[in-house]
Amino acid sequence: MATSEVLLALLGEQPRHGYEIKHEYDAWFPDSKPLAFGQVYSTLGRLERDGLVEVVETRQDGAPQRSVYALTDQGRRHLRDWLTKPAPAEGTSAEEIVRKTVAALRTGTDTAGFLTRQRASHLRRMRELQQQPAGRDPAFRLVRAHTLARLDADLRWLDLAAELTHRAQERGSNP
Amino acid sequence: MSDAVLTMAGVEYAYRRTAALRGVSMTARAGEIVAVTGPSGSGKSTLLHIASGVLRPQAGTVRLLDHDLLSIGEADRCRLRRREVGIVLQFGQLVPDLPLIDNVALPLLLDGNDMAGARTAAAGWLERVQLDGMAAVIPAELSGGQAQRAAVARALITGPAVVFADEPTGSTDLLGGELLLDLLIGAVRERNAALVLVTHDNTIATRADREVRLRDGLVDHEVRLT
Repeated sequence: MATSEVLLALLGEQPRHGYEIKHEYDAWFPDSKPLAFGQVYSTLGRLERDGLVEVVETRQDGAPQRSVYALTDQGRRHLRDWLTKPAPAEGTSAEEIVRKTVAALRTGTDTAGFLTRQRASHLRRMRELQQQPAGRDPAFRLVRAHTLARLDADLRWLDLAAELTHRAQERGSNP
Repeated sequence: MSDAVLTMAGVEYAYRRTAALRGVSMTARAGEIVAVTGPSGSGKSTLLHIASGVLRPQAGTVRLLDHDLLSIGEADRCRLRRREVGIVLQFGQLVPDLPLIDNVALPLLLDGNDMAGARTAAAGWLERVQLDGMAAVIPAELSGGQAQRAAVARALITGPAVVFADEPTGSTDLLGGELLLDLLIGAVRERNAALVLVTHDNTIATRADREVRLRDGLVDHEVRLT
């Protein structure tokens, strides 16, 4: 995910300090890995260097000093451009499950066993997500629906891979 | 397992010379939801028809509650099927000429209950599946999702120990399918009945506690999802 641009979007809502950015990011994408504080500050540093964000206020309310960031005009333009352009339709590298399956096939490892375990793992994750209430926030529901759709796409691919592997075994040859 | 509602062991079935099941064993316990999945032609629907006593296997055993489904007489088997088995198929399979309330009341009427009591129970179930106010409607006036909800009400009205559902969301749209499954699973859980859910859809299979995956008439693997 383009973390820099999502940070710009978070600042597009309102000026925020780093701590708030991290928490709001995690709230936007609750099913994803939480954003590391280190990444927030290194990204903000880069965005500031490139003139896309600026520090508009420094708070020192007892706790450690906090810089509040806001978008610059250039940052606002960059965000608008990013939201106008479609994202690439394909990932640039093979997914981990594809890599593992190909590696298992090529090395003569138990591919069917791997596919079965992967299928079980995907099904459990899907069930876990289905059981967590998505709430009424439409953006949250969309994020959740996308995660589920991707898991389902993976599962259908895993089923196809299992079917092809099984047929190849029956023929007694490599697929 | 002592609380097994359904136990199948070594079940074989062939349509003429085409083997559909080649030695399948599975159980479903009270309060458990089991998804039966697999590619088309893997034997899912045949398994369901045998488990529900509609088809008779050529080999193996089927136990439903405390009864050996294959050795009891036809009359006993029919009674058991009427009272303890609920079935939801892909397209509702409602009786076209009957108003909805009588479609839902039908299993109770066939089991010898009086009309007034059966209709009262059916009205309660129509409300339960969010079809209240539609008692007099005939099936042709219903959407696919509404017909399926009526089928769920009809399947559950006798208080069965086990419910079989074969692609129950096949004629509903995405959100209608979710509602249907919520209603079906909610009613089954509440009664501590077993649900055997036949589906090729992974997003539906994950509603189950356990997956039994078939391939070429055999159990390929089982997965606990909870």
